[in-house]
Amino acid sequence: MPDEQPSLAVCERCGQAHRWTRLAPREVARCSRCDAVLGRGHRLDLSALLALTLAAALVFLIAHGSDLITIRLAGAEQRTTFPMAVLHCWRAGEQGVAVLAAVTALLAPALFIALRLYLLLPLALGRVPAGFAACLRLLHQVSRWNTVEVLTVAALLALVRIAALAQASPGPGLLALGALALLLAAIESAGLRHLWWHVP
Amino acid sequence: MTVGAPATSAPAAPRWLGCECCGLVSALPADGALRHCPRCQHVLHWRKPQSLQRTWAYLVAASVLYVPANVLPIMRTTQAFRDRPHTLMGGIAELWHDGAWGLALIVFIASIAVPLMKIGALALLAWSAQHAPQWRRLERARVFGLIEAVGHWSMLDVYVVVLLAAMVRFGALASAQAGPGLLAFAAVVVLTMLAAHSFDPRLIWQAPAPRDP
Repeated sequence: MPDEQPSLAVCERCGQAHRWTRLAPREVARCSRCDAVLGRGHRLDLSALLALTLAAALVFLIAHGSDLITIRLAGAEQRTTFPMAVLHCWRAGEQGVAVLAAVTALLAPALFIALRLYLLLPLALGRVPAGFAACLRLLHQVSRWNTVEVLTVAALLALVRIAALAQASPGPGLLALGALALLLAAIESAGLRHLWWHVP
Repeated sequence: MTVGAPATSAPAAPRWLGCECCGLVSALPADGALRHCPRCQHVLHWRKPQSLQRTWAYLVAASVLYVPANVLPIMRTTQAFRDRPHTLMGGIAELWHDGAWGLALIVFIASIAVPLMKIGALALLAWSAQHAPQWRRLERARVFGLIEAVGHWSMLDVYVVVLLAAMVRFGALASAQAGPGLLAFAAVVVLTMLAAHSFDPRLIWQAPAPRDP
């Protein structure tokens, strides 16, 4: 695997070409001209990534399938999951906002996880899945629109703002959402380019 | 931390083009005919086409929508039979008066400071790429990196309103609905993200005299 690495790397930010050597774990290579990160040494191998991604898939289902926040006011109770909130937004006539929220906070992370699983499972078994390059190109686009960490902070903010008005308590979905944000950050830090080393 | 050797010591080939998707480095042929990465088929550009025109277009659209995003209410609430509109700044002021200074600061940074900074900084980057190519290149490159990293945090208020509107549904006693300003604000966030993605940071390092194709 190591000798299949390219011997050149071009900085994405400024176009400067550099000689490339394999990085040790935790090592960071920076562009000599614009100081942008060229690459990082990987701490995660294929099976570790697969395990993290499977965990992320499970946590994603918990985060969006269980209550984020429950509030009580004058004997009445309201609880919501994020997909239900988006649906409510759509029905209330704010279709534009609903689509944007669904794409960035639901679709992007769902694709982020599903496409990685589709790629990593066969690779771990020594096979290359069909449409490998197309999936990687799509993943490259998807990562930019993923905002799970922002949604986590937003849910906390909403909780605080409701608490001023009624009795509010966090649900299991909120905890899962925080865990999902951390998992996705860990998975993303490994990048995608190293997957090409496993392709003959 | 290691730094790769600069390209001067690399093979003296004409121009190296890195694939932004898979990282493979290809040599650009003299006729510039290379259009796709030979490994992953991602589009390859020596420079993003019409980068500055697209950046300016998104920036102008974002600036125009910035006005309704701030003037119109992003949320309406009913509390004890009283209707109240909430603008972006109004929501921050409420948090501040309630004594939640930390939260007010977070929302201020995400909703006001970041979009304004992005529009201003991208305009400066796009302007200087044409008119002051040599000016403070490293600082400009770092500013661009920062813009890309913080851009999506402005979605914060959009999610907060979506969640509040779905949960605070107790009729005339207490309820919340999204206001017309929310869509405008969401559009500003998306447009500034598109503007940042359209800007080609390689323009910062472009040699001033001969213009690249």
